[in-house]
This record gives sequence, C-alpha cells and structure tokens, in this order.
Amino acid sequence: MTYDVVVVGAGPAGSVTARFAQEKGAKVLMIDRRAEIGIPVLCGEGISQRIDKWGMLEGTNWIASTMDGAKIYAPDGTMVTLSKEMAGNETGYVVHRDLFDKELARQAGKAGVDIQLRTEALALLKDKNGKICGVKARTYDEEFEIPADIVVGADGVESRIGKWAGINTTLKPDDLETCIQYTLSNIDYHSDYAEFYLGKKIAPGGYVWIFPKEEGVFNIGIGILASLSKPGKPKQLLDAFIKSRPEFKNATCLRILAGAAPVAKPVETVKDNLVLVGDAARHVDSITGGGLTTALEGGKLAGDTISDCVKNQTFDKESLSVYETLWKQAFGQKLLRDYLVKDIMLGFDDKTLNMLADSLKDYKFDEFSTLSLVKALVLKHPTLLVKLKPLMRLSEKVK
Amino acid sequence: MVKPKAKVDEEQCLSCGGCVSVCPKDAISLKNLRAYVDKEKCISCEICVNTCPIGAINMEAVD
Repeated sequence: MTYDVVVVGAGPAGSVTARFAQEKGAKVLMIDRRAEIGIPVLCGEGISQRIDKWGMLEGTNWIASTMDGAKIYAPDGTMVTLSKEMAGNETGYVVHRDLFDKELARQAGKAGVDIQLRTEALALLKDKNGKICGVKARTYDEEFEIPADIVVGADGVESRIGKWAGINTTLKPDDLETCIQYTLSNIDYHSDYAEFYLGKKIAPGGYVWIFPKEEGVFNIGIGILASLSKPGKPKQLLDAFIKSRPEFKNATCLRILAGAAPVAKPVETVKDNLVLVGDAARHVDSITGGGLTTALEGGKLAGDTISDCVKNQTFDKESLSVYETLWKQAFGQKLLRDYLVKDIMLGFDDKTLNMLADSLKDYKFDEFSTLSLVKALVLKHPTLLVKLKPLMRLSEKVK
Repeated sequence: MVKPKAKVDEEQCLSCGGCVSVCPKDAISLKNLRAYVDKEKCISCEICVNTCPIGAINMEAVD
C-alpha cells in the first residue's frame, strides 16, 4: 500500500487532519508510538462546547460532565464568575480524554484512514535533493520506510518532526507550562463550575484548576511557568493547595498525570512536503493553556488543504501555505493576543490581581471566553492594559 | 572531568514530554512512555531538570 500522506501522532489534531484529508480523496496512514490511543491522558480535560457546532464527534461517551461556567479566584479569594446565565450561550465540557481521542480516531478510520499503533517515527525520509518524502519508522523491532508526499507532524508538545524539518520548535522555559493533575474521588463537595485559582504563591505564572468530572470526582491540577519552576515544584504546590482545602481531606486519588502545555507564539507550520498541527504547531491558548479546540479547528483546515494539494499533486510550501493562511484567519490573532496578555499578566503582583478581580466581581460578561474577560479588563483598566488596545481592535476585525 | 549529565528516573517518569520540548539540543526522546537522555548530546544545561513537574530528572556524574 502506498500513501499520499503520513500523519505522525494520533491525538486530536492528527486524527482530524487525517480524517478530512482522506474524506476528500487523499490516501492517509496515521501512526502512533503508543499501544492505545488516548493513553496516557496528558490533559486537564476541559473543552469549550463550541465543538458541538463542528459535529466531529458522535455519541456522548466521551463527555464526563457539562459545566455551567467558570469561577476565577484572585489570591485574596475574590471571585470573578463567567456563568451560563450571564453569557446565554455554550460553556464547557469535562471530557474523558482517552475516549475523546478514540472517538476522533474512530472517525478517521471510518473515513478510510489506516492507523498503525506501536509505530514510532525515527527520522524524515529525504531524497537525493533533500526533499522530504516520508518517514523512517519502527514497529516493535522492525525498522521500515513509509514513503509519502506529505508528512504531518501531529506529535504533540514534544514534537521532533518540525525540528527534523528545520523548524525551530524548541520552547523557552517561559513559553511552557509544566503541569501535574490528580483525579480525586470521594470528595464531599459539589460544583458545576470550572474553578481557577491565581496567585504567585499558589501557582507562579499559571493557575490551579478544579474541574468537576462526576459527582464527587474532580480533576485538580496545576500548571506553572517552567522558568519559575524547580524540580518537582508543581507537585509540591499542588499537594500544598489540596492540603489547605478541608473538602479534599478524605479524597481517594484515582489517577496522577503530568503534562506540558506550550504557551508560545505559533511556529512556522508548513515546509515543502510538511505540515505541523496541534500542540506541535503551538496552537495553544497562552492564557488558559488549552489547545483542544484549536487542534480540531486547525486539523480540519490542514486536512482540507492537504486533500487539495494531493488532488493537484503540488506539495511545495506555497501550495501548503493555504493552511497557514486559513488558521491565521481562524485563530491566529487570538493566539497572538493571548500570548501578549500572558506576558502582561506575568508582571502583575498578587495585589494587582486582587484589585482586578475586585473590579470585575459584579461584571456581566457577554460571552464565555477569554476574549470577553480581556475585553472587560481593558474596559475597566485602560491604562494598565494600554499595550493591548491595538490588539483588541485587530481581533475585533477578524472575529 | 566531564560535567554531570541529565538522567531520567524511569520509575517516576509520567511521559508528559515537557523535557523534550525545552531541550535545546534535541537530546531527549520518549520511548515506551519514558523519557531518555542521549548523554552524547546533553550539554548539562539543567533546563529539563527544572522543568520536570515531578522532579524525575537529576544530574548524574559520568565516568
């Protein structure tokens, strides 16, 4: 069997890219080094209900719970609420990421994509002119070549496909959130909200989150900026936070996971014969560290572009750049804006965060999004966020 | 005298990939859901050591 496209990594971005490329006529192989799609989970498992509109997932087994909004807590406990009642539109799900990823892979398979697990990419194949023409891979102990006209790097935060193609994807420590999360059960506490806790002592350069997964079961995690971290510091801070909360006293831990979220500017995402998607493309919101919606949205755009390129048999950078233009139109400004907001927020001390939260505690947000939060901040504190104003105008335009 | 090199405690590693993403020398890879450091490529910068959320990477003397 020969393939037009080989996708490296069967996470959400890889599966969606593979599916839409195949649906529109390309022949796609997707490989993943893991033995089971979606395992291990490396994620807080929160996602916007915006995905409902896209219809990429069938069934509901991947939905763990529906949230009514978000509560953001300043260091002194002042609470800002973004709720469904105020926003009057969709909020968020907590998902079972293993089932979520499996459903997206199933959809890819249904479209005709071949999927090969326990298969690791070792290097890019290049012809005598240096042109990328597939990947060298290993499954169990066997090494072999997968020739393809287009290689898709969907290999996550730790992406090496981009590096091998000459794209500098190395993250600076101040562009990475280093994370740990527990799934805790037997908790005598009820919440329908995603809760976020800010503060230099709680989570420097990041936040603690509590997501309600099932009755009595919560995902509680922390992300801190790697440049402000020390060995094992996220775990120490999360343990201290949990200890300070009486409702977690009798909790039983069902799962421990570590994670790494790029909070960087997006990189160059196309080269001749090569495309990057998802976390590998740094398509992650720098304020929240969330990358699921952009992985799906970007994956669809990549898949559509790739199928056109296969139809026309043009695999050069210029032809594939349609994808880069499309994702920049769809969410490029938002990613850039939130990257700059991240930078500004890093300069805020706890006192400033308390003051900002106090000024927003009764604010009626018009929608459930980081944009509405940033808008409110700019409205209330024009001088503080003066650097953001031109960006806000830009993002209004492209919205 | 060779500088100490980064070494991942395989028992502890949870395979998040953070260390791989920040390594300036592409010296770390994930295999069978564990991170491994290529000692030949490691420049002892300790960025990965400080990045690991569970403290599973240490600097180890090399003979």
